[in-house]
Amino acid sequence: MGPLSREAWAQLLGAFRASPSAFMAAPEGEDLGRDLLSDLRSEKLSEPTKVSMLALSLEYPAQLWPDAPAAEAAATSLLDTLVLLPPRPSALRRPLLLAATTALVTGGALGPTSGASLRLLPLLLGLASGGDLGRGFGPASEQRPLQATACECLRELESCQPGLLGGCLGLLRGLLGQEGPVAPVQPLSLLLALALRNTLVIQARAGASLQGLLTVRASPPGGGPWNWTLAQAGEAHLQPQAPSWPAAEEECRLSALEPSPEEARELRAAVAQLLDTSYLLTPVAQAQLLWLLGWALRGLRGQPPVLFKPQLVRLLSTAQLTLLHAVLALKAAFGEALFTAQDEALLLRRLTLAAQHPALPLPAHLFHLHCLLSFPENCPLGPAGEEAAPLLLEPQLCRGLLPHLLLDPMALLARLHLLCLLCAEDEQEEKGQAQSPCHYLQELLAGLQQRAALPGSPRALATLCFRASYLVARCLAGRHAVLTPLTHGLAQLYRARPALAPHFVDLLDRVAPELGELLRVVLRQEVVSRPGGGEALRWHLQMLARVADRDAQSATLAFLQAAAVHCSDWGLQQALLRVCRALLRAGVGGGLADLLQALARQLEDPDGRDHARLYYILLSHLSGPKLGVALGPSLAAPALTSLVAENQGFATALMVQEAPAPIRLSVGTQRAEGPVPVLQLQVEVLEPVYSLELRFRVEGHVYAPLGAVHVPCLCPGRPARPLLLPLQPRRPAPTQLDIRALYTRSTGLTCYTRLPPLPVKFADLFLPFPKPPGGASSGFFEELWDSCLPKGAESRLWCPLGPHGLEALVSRHLEPFVVVAQPPTSYHVAIRLPPDSALLLRLEAAQADGVPVVLRTDDWAVLPLAGDYLRGLSAAG
Amino acid sequence: MAQRAVWLVSHEPGTPLCGTVRFSRRFPTVEKRAKVFNGTSYVPIPEDGPFLKSLLFELRLLDEDKDFMESRDSCSRINKTSVYGLKVGGEELWPVVAFLKNGIVYACVPLVEQTLSPRPALISISAISQGFELLFGIQDFLYSSQRMDTELNTKLSQLPDLLLQACPFGTVLDANLQNSLDSINFASVTHPQKQPAWKAGTYKGKPQVSISITEKVKSMQYDKQDIADTWQVVGTVTCKCDLEGIMPNVTISLSLPTNGSPLQDILVHPCVTSLDSAILTSSSIDTMDDSAFSGPYKFPFTPPLESFNLCYYTSQVPVPPILGFYQIKEEEAQLKITVNLKLHESVKNNFEFCEAHIPFYNRGPITHVEYKVSFGQLEVFREKSLLIWIIGQKFPKSMEISLSGTITFGAKSHDKQPFDHICIAGTAYLKLHFRILDYTLTGCYADQHSVQVFASGKPKISTHRKLISSDYYIWNSKAPAPVTYGSLLL
Repeated sequence: MGPLSREAWAQLLGAFRASPSAFMAAPEGEDLGRDLLSDLRSEKLSEPTKVSMLALSLEYPAQLWPDAPAAEAAATSLLDTLVLLPPRPSALRRPLLLAATTALVTGGALGPTSGASLRLLPLLLGLASGGDLGRGFGPASEQRPLQATACECLRELESCQPGLLGGCLGLLRGLLGQEGPVAPVQPLSLLLALALRNTLVIQARAGASLQGLLTVRASPPGGGPWNWTLAQAGEAHLQPQAPSWPAAEEECRLSALEPSPEEARELRAAVAQLLDTSYLLTPVAQAQLLWLLGWALRGLRGQPPVLFKPQLVRLLSTAQLTLLHAVLALKAAFGEALFTAQDEALLLRRLTLAAQHPALPLPAHLFHLHCLLSFPENCPLGPAGEEAAPLLLEPQLCRGLLPHLLLDPMALLARLHLLCLLCAEDEQEEKGQAQSPCHYLQELLAGLQQRAALPGSPRALATLCFRASYLVARCLAGRHAVLTPLTHGLAQLYRARPALAPHFVDLLDRVAPELGELLRVVLRQEVVSRPGGGEALRWHLQMLARVADRDAQSATLAFLQAAAVHCSDWGLQQALLRVCRALLRAGVGGGLADLLQALARQLEDPDGRDHARLYYILLSHLSGPKLGVALGPSLAAPALTSLVAENQGFATALMVQEAPAPIRLSVGTQRAEGPVPVLQLQVEVLEPVYSLELRFRVEGHVYAPLGAVHVPCLCPGRPARPLLLPLQPRRPAPTQLDIRALYTRSTGLTCYTRLPPLPVKFADLFLPFPKPPGGASSGFFEELWDSCLPKGAESRLWCPLGPHGLEALVSRHLEPFVVVAQPPTSYHVAIRLPPDSALLLRLEAAQADGVPVVLRTDDWAVLPLAGDYLRGLSAAG
Repeated sequence: MAQRAVWLVSHEPGTPLCGTVRFSRRFPTVEKRAKVFNGTSYVPIPEDGPFLKSLLFELRLLDEDKDFMESRDSCSRINKTSVYGLKVGGEELWPVVAFLKNGIVYACVPLVEQTLSPRPALISISAISQGFELLFGIQDFLYSSQRMDTELNTKLSQLPDLLLQACPFGTVLDANLQNSLDSINFASVTHPQKQPAWKAGTYKGKPQVSISITEKVKSMQYDKQDIADTWQVVGTVTCKCDLEGIMPNVTISLSLPTNGSPLQDILVHPCVTSLDSAILTSSSIDTMDDSAFSGPYKFPFTPPLESFNLCYYTSQVPVPPILGFYQIKEEEAQLKITVNLKLHESVKNNFEFCEAHIPFYNRGPITHVEYKVSFGQLEVFREKSLLIWIIGQKFPKSMEISLSGTITFGAKSHDKQPFDHICIAGTAYLKLHFRILDYTLTGCYADQHSVQVFASGKPKISTHRKLISSDYYIWNSKAPAPVTYGSLLL
């Protein structure tokens, strides 16, 4: 494709600027970078077109040449274009230098391995030092602007890669001090100051000295290689650790640098040289120079900041924002070393003046006021980082800075802040003098409220009034002399313009700790003392939903009752219900139930009726805390409408949640008494659990269904009494209990959980026979023994004994059931097995290693269980 | 100390977007540094479209003002400087320096050379004041001499080239764009002497120095027992020095007559080389006494090429030039007004013009006026609810004039009649507009003979003076009026 025409380029550039991302995503974006570079050499395009193409490359190099190789190639191409320019005046040389620099920096290609960098740097330095670069660099008239541009490019390279020019400090000093035809002062001064600052910082970090860097005048581009040492040491240091505010930086980082006396002298000379010619710089450039030198010298030994002193009067007398700001930076950097108490006072006065001088624009006033409240004092009292009136700023000085109604809103708020700070310090506020700042503040607030109250006034006025109220409430928290009238003024404002309800709700949310309670009460009174109808009803309801609580319930309910009649549309009904909901949450009872019932009948909209009924049901069924949780803010993700959110809230709060069990159950020791077997359950909890209900299901229906067990409250670490669970076996068999728990957590949510099944062992069912009267135990046993047959069964088995013998085995496992005992060798045991079985054991003639057991039961099904049991006993020892 | 981007946005209420980006410039090398310095808190510069939307929303310049929006109207969102955080694509771009002037929003994003969370104090960011200065410079350039839209468009079209000169890499080299324009135009040759950066070339031609002193007087008059009337003079001394040589030295002395009012709060142009400490410390903050420094005020300087403001001052003259009295009585549907104006005898009774504007806010259109003036004529603007009393060139010999009248208003309709949030109920003002040539209220003058010029050739020196009214309010004494703290200190 041949070169594009002028019109085509204009169109292309316009389309690109309209939306660079969209343009680059389209097919024509692909070749833009390449076409631009090639068309720059086209002879058909005029210089202005080429300048506008270069301007684009200055703004969007990352889009045109997104990676380092592309940027490197682009920079090379731009440099080639520059060299190929015919030796007549051309407007392209400057932008070509700028574009090559920009491409190298933004593409991340700058470095010792980049061919373009190695061409650009000596070229720039050569241009900056005014050397004759021969053909291609235009007529003499262009030398000076090019010299300045080369300095700018070098400065930008040094900014992005600190230390790059560390080796050129001597050369730059020489150029600046040159007699006769001289280089432009400003670009050289700024370049030298930046290179000096960066070198000092890098050397201090490396713990190295200045190594004569300030005096070596040899220039590297005389064919020799560029010195990258410092730049590579400094490369890692372009990091967010150089706060702009000198005082904020860790103290004296530069103190590591210990220049020799000679170096210190040279350094002083370099700084003095820069300061002496600083009046030749534009004000913004002077300010940059001062910031840089302030940074460079702060904390450096042997460099007293008095060098700056001769400049101060000149700087303080101007109306320039940047100069005053730079003086403040010096103030912060050097403090008392440069500014005596008198100087500090003068600086404050100039700043106060600049914050209100009629000749300066409003943004400058506001910035100066900010500086005044963040003033770097010699002896600060308050905490750092907080806005405060400096100590030396007497109220008298601030007189002209106090706010009044004719000011722009932003200026009014800024000055109001100052007034609040003065009021906070003013001891005499309680006396209510007519001229006291506090009194004035009240008048001002009243004026703001009056303006906001004006029917049809723009929202900005209301916003201003509420911002002022917020500021006052925050700054003067606890000052009733101010806050009480403010509150009443706001109540009046509400009376005049209920439509501002959203602002009131917002204010209440923001100043809850300082003003919330007071304001809530007066606003509630303001709302409920009105008849319930009218246009403002929706605002009243919105307001009431925020301010209603347990106090003054009857008035609130009366208002709502009256309002209900007027709530004809869905929106109003919902607003009304929101108030009811707020009351429910606040724990309002009796009267509210009546109101909800009435609403459930009376509201026109079915949705409204449903809600009212729901609230009524909730009110009548849930306890206070639970209601609070149920109606509390939804834990679910924000939904599209409040209704969905509300329903989700209910869902989470009222539905039973399945949760991992914080409860552990175990079976305690058997008691073996009473008419039925009773399981003793031990309960442990990991968190507080309320209203615990345990439900049991018997596997295989071998017992009658079990009743639920209720426990009101369990806390971790507090011993709980065992739970008694009576069993009613249908047949004497072991089984498992399936257990579910239902409980309330401390958050009010009801949870459901399934616990691990509990085994009921055969032995858990054992009960003793009642003792026969008169102690005829032997006869009693024999009677039982005989009665088992023929319906039952008999079995014999060998029960091995452990080292402790038969006596120990019996006392451990069978003690309650022994009827006849002849220790240590013979025992008769009778066990009742509910519902109506018996198990009889004769353990006789025990030997050292075992005992023969004769076992009889009236229920043959018991026999294998009994066998297992006995074998288990011997195994357990 | 650099800017990441600059924008000019014209505010166009009533259009779909409420504005257009008229100019924008990004600085990618600065952006590269921002990425490193800001670290994880870095927010990239958005494209023009999203920026425009977010900027106008933040400055409340979109038309949608109807409903309360927390993100815009919440009471805790307080801006006390012209520095904003803009919500762009879910992130907040900060700091954005922005202000609206003459229908154009000037905006830039200064580089912060550290992390943005927590936000550093504005005072600690060197690029903030640089950004302000750049925007002020652009504003001065756009509005220095023109009013017409076509001229504005021409100047806007010059901006890309000018910024390439004044701020090639985002670091502002010169906020005075006129000077940058000159430096493009001056085909300069090698200079034998050091040339200030704020002076692009040298003047060739007849030497001349022109000095003009413009004083603006503002006043708030209440005619009340417990509120003091206030008035203040603000002076501007403008110079244009056409002198040959690179660094000609000039000293201008401002003098006061014996009974003149001392100049205070003096701010000088950066080209002034030294200043007497008495000038630096003379301040309106202090209570004045007879020992106050009363001149002559000497300003030695090296002039730039263009016309510049050598200094600004304020002054507290003993009496206001015109003392007024304004009273409104509301009777049924009518207002009865009475106005008395008295010119002080010490003031030069020779006006270029003198008018009293009497607006009536928050009311309907004027339907009927009956009036009597002792001097001059009254013009009635019914739809605007405005009376203009044209007093003319001179007050009569008695120095006192009066107006009385009865005004009837029609029904109020919100769209047509002016709304004002100060003039609520009876609160009302009249505003004086006047200009007196060859006169200053302080008496301040620049004596031609006291001007010292150290340059080749004897220059022709011309001096001009004028007094202009500015914010000269006389409030209805029968109703509350906005006061400043100073007015309460009786």
